[in-house]
Amino acid sequence: MFKRTLCVAGLTGALMAGTAMPASAISIMYADWLASLVEPGIANFEEATGETVDAIKLPGQGYDQRIALDLAAGTAADVVQMDSFMVSELASAGYLAPLDEMASEWDQYQYYQEGLLDVASYDGNVYGLPTDTDVRMLWYDKSNFEKAGIEMPWEPKTWDDVLDAAQKLKDAGVTYAFQLPAGTKQGEAATMQGFYMALLGADTPEDDRNRLLNRETGQWIGNSPALRRTLELYDTVYNEMELTPSDLNYATDIGAAVREAMANDEIGILASGSWEDACLWDCNGVNLPSREERDALVGWTPWPGSGEEGAKETTNISGGWTIGVNANASDQDLAFQLVTAIFDEENFKSWTLANHRMAVRTDISESPEYMEDSYLAAATKLAADTTGRDTVPGYQTVSALVQQATGDVADGAPVDEVLQDYHDALVDEFGEENVITYE
Amino acid sequence: MQSGIVHSRLTALALTFMAIIWVSPFTWLLLNAFDTSSTGQLAWPTTPGVGNFVAAVSGDSGRQFINSVIIAAGTATLSVIVGIAAGYPLSRLNIPGRNAFLWALVLLRMLPAVGVLVPIYFAAQRAGLLNQLGVILALTILNLPFTLLLLKNFFDTVPIEIEEAAYVEGASLWQIVTFVVLPLSRAGIAVVWFFTFTSAWNEFLLPLIFARVQDAFPMSVGLYAAFGRQGAINYGFLAAYSIIYAAPAIAVYFLLRRNLNTGFAGVGVKG
Amino acid sequence: MRHQGNPWLTSNLFVLGIGILPALLMIGVLLYFTAWAFAFSFTDLALVGRKSVEWSWVGFDNFERLFTRRGFLESLWTTIYFVFFSAIVGQSLLGFILAASLRGMRGTLRTMIEVSIMLGWLVPDIVAAFLWSATTSDTGLINALIVVPLGFQPVNFINDYALAVVTIANIWKGTAWSYILFSAALDSISRELIEAAKVDGATMWQRVSLVILPIIRPHIATNMLFITIWTFTYFPLIFAMTGGGPGRQTETLAIFLYNQSFSRGNLGFGSAISVAMLLIVGGLSLIYLRMLREPT
Repeated sequence: MFKRTLCVAGLTGALMAGTAMPASAISIMYADWLASLVEPGIANFEEATGETVDAIKLPGQGYDQRIALDLAAGTAADVVQMDSFMVSELASAGYLAPLDEMASEWDQYQYYQEGLLDVASYDGNVYGLPTDTDVRMLWYDKSNFEKAGIEMPWEPKTWDDVLDAAQKLKDAGVTYAFQLPAGTKQGEAATMQGFYMALLGADTPEDDRNRLLNRETGQWIGNSPALRRTLELYDTVYNEMELTPSDLNYATDIGAAVREAMANDEIGILASGSWEDACLWDCNGVNLPSREERDALVGWTPWPGSGEEGAKETTNISGGWTIGVNANASDQDLAFQLVTAIFDEENFKSWTLANHRMAVRTDISESPEYMEDSYLAAATKLAADTTGRDTVPGYQTVSALVQQATGDVADGAPVDEVLQDYHDALVDEFGEENVITYE
Repeated sequence: MQSGIVHSRLTALALTFMAIIWVSPFTWLLLNAFDTSSTGQLAWPTTPGVGNFVAAVSGDSGRQFINSVIIAAGTATLSVIVGIAAGYPLSRLNIPGRNAFLWALVLLRMLPAVGVLVPIYFAAQRAGLLNQLGVILALTILNLPFTLLLLKNFFDTVPIEIEEAAYVEGASLWQIVTFVVLPLSRAGIAVVWFFTFTSAWNEFLLPLIFARVQDAFPMSVGLYAAFGRQGAINYGFLAAYSIIYAAPAIAVYFLLRRNLNTGFAGVGVKG
Repeated sequence: MRHQGNPWLTSNLFVLGIGILPALLMIGVLLYFTAWAFAFSFTDLALVGRKSVEWSWVGFDNFERLFTRRGFLESLWTTIYFVFFSAIVGQSLLGFILAASLRGMRGTLRTMIEVSIMLGWLVPDIVAAFLWSATTSDTGLINALIVVPLGFQPVNFINDYALAVVTIANIWKGTAWSYILFSAALDSISRELIEAAKVDGATMWQRVSLVILPIIRPHIATNMLFITIWTFTYFPLIFAMTGGGPGRQTETLAIFLYNQSFSRGNLGFGSAISVAMLLIVGGLSLIYLRMLREPT
């Protein structure tokens, strides 16, 4: 049917000439914010091999959809950039090539941190090399802490310490005393910066009782003390103690709204991540105040555990982006050679330093230039004890359900009901046998 | 007569007031477009200048502009041609069930575009249409129910007596359509062309996923170059770019406006 | 009503048939795509991952979940509110009033009005969202120009009255279409007819209701149907402004559908939502169809 339509309309098809499929040997697809890492790598690769690389740079908007469609239809570029949480999904559908064997012959592969490679692995194979990583913490506004009479440096040991501080801030007239991300609008940010950071410290790590997934058995956790305590924390913050209104979670541009509130000293405590060292002023790093000025305005502290028996003292979880190779690439070895050209130490290191990214390789993170940056060095220490997301297929779905649950609780729905909804939705998605409950 | 003048002055006043309310949200756009260190707040420019406009017209934007014109004008023209070819017979021939057929067709489009995105992509890939022609065809197909129903409705308002008169004077079908029906339906055709043009001009997702090479992106994709990571948005660029981006479509409206308005007055046929 | 025996038509049936052909082919393609979406609604097909390749049939499970899981029914009410006030009342009525009062008017006032409503229509959705949040936030235009100078506390409109704000924003964004359509339709009414009614002593209201409205009835019905369908499925503006929040206050069916299909990645459930939306608007269009029927 479609072909016949073509015959009729094809007569108007002189347009095709300008957009014919490229014929070069190797292609790459990346988001435009990564251009400063990828493009010098491409240039080096072209120079070394004499091949021409066909590069397609996409806006961040719609990138995830395009990559899923492209890989599924077999039209993806040979080398693709993707968010680490998509790696296992795409690998499980057979769209990505395992890299271990090719990488073992590359001398710089040994420097990658084990935990970060795990994030981009599926079934024991690595499918993507990380570009950078991040850690998560509680940021606080020093002038508000002073106003509320809270001792600094602030070192909360339990959730109660955090709530106490927030109550004092609220009493001192701070609007967003504890900005804890909730709801679906900010996507992964609500899961990572808020929910998962609390969940990890809500119960003992034994049997993965403090996670969304029992990684041993591959079963999702539909109800557990940790899940309940975490949602109750949201209930306390948003409803019981009314420590913050929820409008920052639904602002048109959440980043700008948070920046503005911070500049106006309206935020007390902000649950966010390592990028805020720049993003609280300017994510592009153009108009940043000096190190000393920033340190005078805000401070940060690791997320404390809940204080429950056996729970972790501090928690952390990391994300980040990766670059992988299409399983259908015409020449996988050549494709991987392009990946190594991008990640070649010289190029990778200068990009990491220039953009204040957190390094994923020890040869970069232990270099004197990197250690010089006191903030990066301190934040990188947090990464030593970090954990990744549940990199199994289905994580994206579960994350969306978690966001919905936090939004519903913040909006006043009873915790019991929301937990029941969450459990039912997990059963809908994965079947009764793949959902467990901890008492 | 006196009350008539007062009346029309009141109308004019009300309309002016309305226009002011309507354009007031654009304050934000202008303030940010002319602020080279814009932060997205509603504030007077701290460093006024046209740097954002310079940034918006440099780089790939020339090529993207041409791509936008190709996609939008191509979609609009193809839609109108296909719509006229089918709309006229549907209006004039008493095909049983044609109305039910048309409405059912419009209903099909009730399925939100995201719902059919996956099959469209796979079909285009199999047909080798992951290019601008594919975007034009896909948008034409998605718009067809609307264009067809609209054009048929406009043809319905052309009195058949005029066609009869032309036939009596010896005109052929081709002459009747080109010299009688089309000129009389000019307003309707202009509406359909303008509508399909603007919707294709603003289409973002299809060109994004169809384009195989970067040079094939239209301006709607370029708009998103303002969005960085972790909520870093270059508001000055975004504001300036969207002014430049909306300008051609507004120009098209004014080029067509005469046709949109000329319509039927003076033809001398009583409704 | 049509004259079946028109010789310039009957002698050229073949040519006319050829003319319909491309449209028929395209409709076939569209039907084929739609059939896919219907089929999806009976599967557990996922956007990514294992279930995107190894999906299975699940019968009516997805449809059952529309009613047993939180979300669909709430979104349905939000959507009905949004469609009724922003499309049917707002865009349609305002578009008609503007088209009627600008009819025959020339000069700068008309140009000014047209440019301003066209700007709303043509500005990209994402930019429109920024404009409206900058207008209605607590430091926004309305507060800075009206609320604060009058001595009141600033009101965070977009948070406190989210559904009303997105409804107004959508009226602002979409009225141009109704305006253009009604302008073109009103132009098809001859001036003499209205003058004649005036001479006969008809009041303005009588002229509108007895002369103009009956003539443009098909255009009204067409317009209502189109904007109902578009508004029912329209999502970028609300999505960018509030993402469906606060809570689920502005979560229309289109946003619910997007969240389920793309965020949660459940294309099967998403397709069931699409099909349900189709059935609901199918019911609505029956009403419009009755309006369209000429009173004979």
